[in-house]
Amino acid sequence: MNKAEEISSKQKQIAVSEFFEKNKHFLGFDSLQRSIITAVKESVDNSLDACEEARILPNIHVELNKQKGDKIEFVTQDNGPGIPRNAIEDVFGKFLLGSRFHAIRQTRGQQGIGITGVVMYSQLTTGSKTHVISKVKQESSAVIVELGLDTRKNKAIKTGERREVWIDKNTGKEIEQGLRIRTIMKGKYQKGKQSVHQYLRMTSIVNPHASISLIVRDKDGNIIDQGNWPRTTERLPRVVSEIRPHPHGIHLGTLQRMLRESGERKMTSFLRHNFSGVSMRAAREILGKAKIDEGREPKRIKADDAQEMLNAFQKVKLLSPPMDCLSPIDDLLIKKGLSKAIDSRFASTVTRNPSVSQGNPFQIEVGLVFGGDLGADGPIEVLRFANRVPLMYQQGGCLLTKALESVDWKRYGLEHPGGRGVPKGPAALLIHLASTNVQFTSEAKEAVAENEEVHEEIRKALLEVGRGLKNHLKKSSQRKKAKEKFELVNIILPEIAKKSSEILARPEPDLAPVITQIMNAVFCEEVLDWDKERKIATCSIKIYNYTARARAYTILAKWPENEDTAMVDNDRGGRKETKGIWAWRLDTLNPGTCTTIKFGVSGLTKGDWVDTDIFFRGNGEIIGATRIDESLLDEIRKSEALIIAEKEIIKESNNLEPLIDRAEESVQKDISTTILESKEGQLSLSEWEVE
Amino acid sequence: MTLGKTKTKEEVIEALHSVAAEMHDKMLKGKPPAMTLPVRTKKNIQFDKKLQVYKYGKNKSTRDATALGSARVLLRSLHITEFIEDMIESGKSSTLREMYYISEGWGNGKFGTQNESNNLAEDLEIVTKCIREDFKLRPEEDGARIIGNVTFEEKNRKGEWMRINCRDDVGDSGYGVPYNVESEKLRLVEHDIDFVMAVETGGMFDRLVENGFDEEARCAIIHLKGQPARSTRRIMKRMSDEWKKPILVFADCDPWSFRIFASIAYGAIKTAHISEYLATNEAIYLGITADDILAYDLPSDDLTKSDLGALESELSDPRFATGWWKEQINLMQEIGKKAEQQSLAKYGLDFVTDTYLPEKLAALGLKY
Ligand SMILES: Nc1ncnc2c1ncn2[C@@H]1O[C@H](COP(=O)(O)OP(=O)(O)O)[C@@H](O)[C@H]1O
Ligand SMILES: [Mg+2]
Repeated sequence: MNKAEEISSKQKQIAVSEFFEKNKHFLGFDSLQRSIITAVKESVDNSLDACEEARILPNIHVELNKQKGDKIEFVTQDNGPGIPRNAIEDVFGKFLLGSRFHAIRQTRGQQGIGITGVVMYSQLTTGSKTHVISKVKQESSAVIVELGLDTRKNKAIKTGERREVWIDKNTGKEIEQGLRIRTIMKGKYQKGKQSVHQYLRMTSIVNPHASISLIVRDKDGNIIDQGNWPRTTERLPRVVSEIRPHPHGIHLGTLQRMLRESGERKMTSFLRHNFSGVSMRAAREILGKAKIDEGREPKRIKADDAQEMLNAFQKVKLLSPPMDCLSPIDDLLIKKGLSKAIDSRFASTVTRNPSVSQGNPFQIEVGLVFGGDLGADGPIEVLRFANRVPLMYQQGGCLLTKALESVDWKRYGLEHPGGRGVPKGPAALLIHLASTNVQFTSEAKEAVAENEEVHEEIRKALLEVGRGLKNHLKKSSQRKKAKEKFELVNIILPEIAKKSSEILARPEPDLAPVITQIMNAVFCEEVLDWDKERKIATCSIKIYNYTARARAYTILAKWPENEDTAMVDNDRGGRKETKGIWAWRLDTLNPGTCTTIKFGVSGLTKGDWVDTDIFFRGNGEIIGATRIDESLLDEIRKSEALIIAEKEIIKESNNLEPLIDRAEESVQKDISTTILESKEGQLSLSEWEVE
Repeated sequence: MTLGKTKTKEEVIEALHSVAAEMHDKMLKGKPPAMTLPVRTKKNIQFDKKLQVYKYGKNKSTRDATALGSARVLLRSLHITEFIEDMIESGKSSTLREMYYISEGWGNGKFGTQNESNNLAEDLEIVTKCIREDFKLRPEEDGARIIGNVTFEEKNRKGEWMRINCRDDVGDSGYGVPYNVESEKLRLVEHDIDFVMAVETGGMFDRLVENGFDEEARCAIIHLKGQPARSTRRIMKRMSDEWKKPILVFADCDPWSFRIFASIAYGAIKTAHISEYLATNEAIYLGITADDILAYDLPSDDLTKSDLGALESELSDPRFATGWWKEQINLMQEIGKKAEQQSLAKYGLDFVTDTYLPEKLAALGLKY
């Protein structure tokens, strides 16, 4: 190497570490506390992504061992697919190698600098190499290697590479597949709202399919913190497909690059093949509006014309981009995730239908838990997520928080002083934004940037869980009142009768008319339970007539009806009212009598069904049940019909290409927007039976 | 009301049974059991001009078993009834606190707090027109101490009448007034005094005793122990009624001490149902007055915010609706000061008995 080369390589070397140094703040390595969280995050996110792609249920273990000074030994291990021997160098030794870097779909990656940043940070702060063990299933042994960085060449320095059978220290068994990373870095372990513990807890909530554990030890090897979040579902997140960009979300620069790189010969095919949502008809219309000849070669389109096209994109009706590029968590799983991390009385979750903002599909999910162990004094806990990644910093400046603050929580039963800020009360609120393109306020990717459509969707979701909470609070106060009344007439009143008769040496009075007088109402009380032996969720609805005349009602109960569940042990029969609602007729319920409706639901697991609604039809109120809203049933029926119609149209359009053009023009667009607005909850009226 | 004259066992039990009967009758008619009693809040306290004491007004409330809370109270009333009946039959008595603990065994009829049981005992007094002595229930609060040349007869545990002279037969702490001072338990036999001096604080009581003030001034000295217990007020009332001797109240000069005087002279909210048996209308407030603070240049403290509030509300209190009280309260507001009885010690230990009291008594025409 001559002098010049030496100098230039030195400069380069300075350049890469300088780049790291300069951008520490948005790479997440700007403080000792933060660095350790970032390292965990890069590694755990990778494990989750890799397992998801390989369709493996992840087991992830994180270990932090404090060393002398402010050094920490950092160990993570997963049971993912591992990394093939020849790819290890690039993964750990090159910046910005993300395999999915240009793909448009929802992933966790693309958030930070990647695992290379961890290797770099360790090397820079302690000089430590990163030890990697990688086992790929097809191979008979694991690759063990130590990695450092040649910052000059942006390349890994491999040492001590060997192959070995990888044995699990605890079980003594061979490990079939997975990846283990161990290194030493400067860092400071702290507990609290911004900590590794909180990061993993939040991660486990939105990844209910993952088992995650954490152990933190002090210098002397004593455990000072730990966490264990086992999986609550075996269901992996669905496979997301990549999509082409949608014209509504494209920038001039990107469009020009696409034109330049396009091999298409005609503009119409360029538009139809490189974008989603563009049909032949739409392509023609765009080109017409932009005054560009259909036959022109994309490569030759100049900036002016490209700008015209951009304008035209906004004026032409386009199909929405496909939504299977998103991976929502699913409201039932959010409920499970939340209840494993937080002990509460009530959980309400909503997964909104996907929506589009500037050509980017996105989807909002919200979960609210209330009561139980949650502290009642301070502000509620806000759990923010973007694409299943916890957002732990800059809560106040985040769109998710702002949308939360815009709701009038007082109306839904939370304390909200002045209607401003985060409401108070024993609650935690989860907001998940899934999107192919999450816009952050800054490079640090800590807070989601303003976006009207996203804001609106979050609000709608929050209002929905808010209504659920209000309903729950109303129900529990009703339930409390009913309970008191039951205690009054069943326990205290008979004792008053007995004692007063004893004192006066008189016969005991007949209490039936007294009870009627005191209660003067029909009561309903439902109990949900779990039959361990038979693995059946049971529901028992008791109806007491404490009025002076006989009553007749139809009692309706909500139950979790889907492809996997079935109603069992329903001795009273009754009939299906609509999907998810069953109805029983009670012909005569005499004064002073009580009757019970019992049924079970198979196909659920314990804890799946903890809350139901009881409705009635008939004269006179029932305390503890709601009069069924016939118009609401009607709406549910309509939206169900629409969903069926939509499915059919999609089926057809898959087969019959030309139909797309026709469908998009009116029918499908209208239907999909109507469905977005009207589908609330899970009821459908496909099997509606007319009375 | 048995104050003054004894109710028989049978009368008490009958009165209690009428409470149970009201509930039972209601149930026979298919109605929720209930208990009717006067509203026992400040709103329903009226100044009875004729009796010159505070009484409950006409507002009645019905406690009926339509809500769980009131149903529980009714059940407790029945348990108390049964408990009292048992005590009457077996010749026992218990303290209110003991009853509270005994209620542990009453299942759904047990009390949540002692306050609940105390209140309910008072409720029963009101609806049955009995007093707790009839119910064999005793308070924890201890009664007053008396020193002076007065003689009582008290029935002891053996049922014998014991003669006690409160000067010759007692030590320095005086005669301890029992909780029951009705005629079946205590007789006022004879006396050789000109007046009764009721003293708020223990320190001043001991000072007067040590200085031999009772003999020198020919009086009986009673230690009130703060807000006086029922029996203390009742015995003062009896001495006033039966011996026709003036009752003079000697207290600190602050709004709360004024209220001690008011409860002695006119009655208190919690005992408004028996005000005419407890309140001594003729009682006179001797001092310390606001005038005294100025006249004797007594060491004093600033009035606090709550003192000022109390004074203000006393201005609209009919018990202080005399010109003299208004003057005193206004003066106190003006100077913004209060003083303790013992501030008289500024001029030496004997000042109170040698100078202050003689001068104050002389002003009332009581010379010695
Ligand atoms: N634990 C792991 N198991 C399997 N593959 C991994 C693991 N960690 C990283 N990889 C592979 O290395 C690539 C680079 O990771 P990284 O530098 O973090 O970037 P990104 O996560 O953005 O793709 C990943 O895309 C993945 O293919
Ligand atoms: Mg990564």
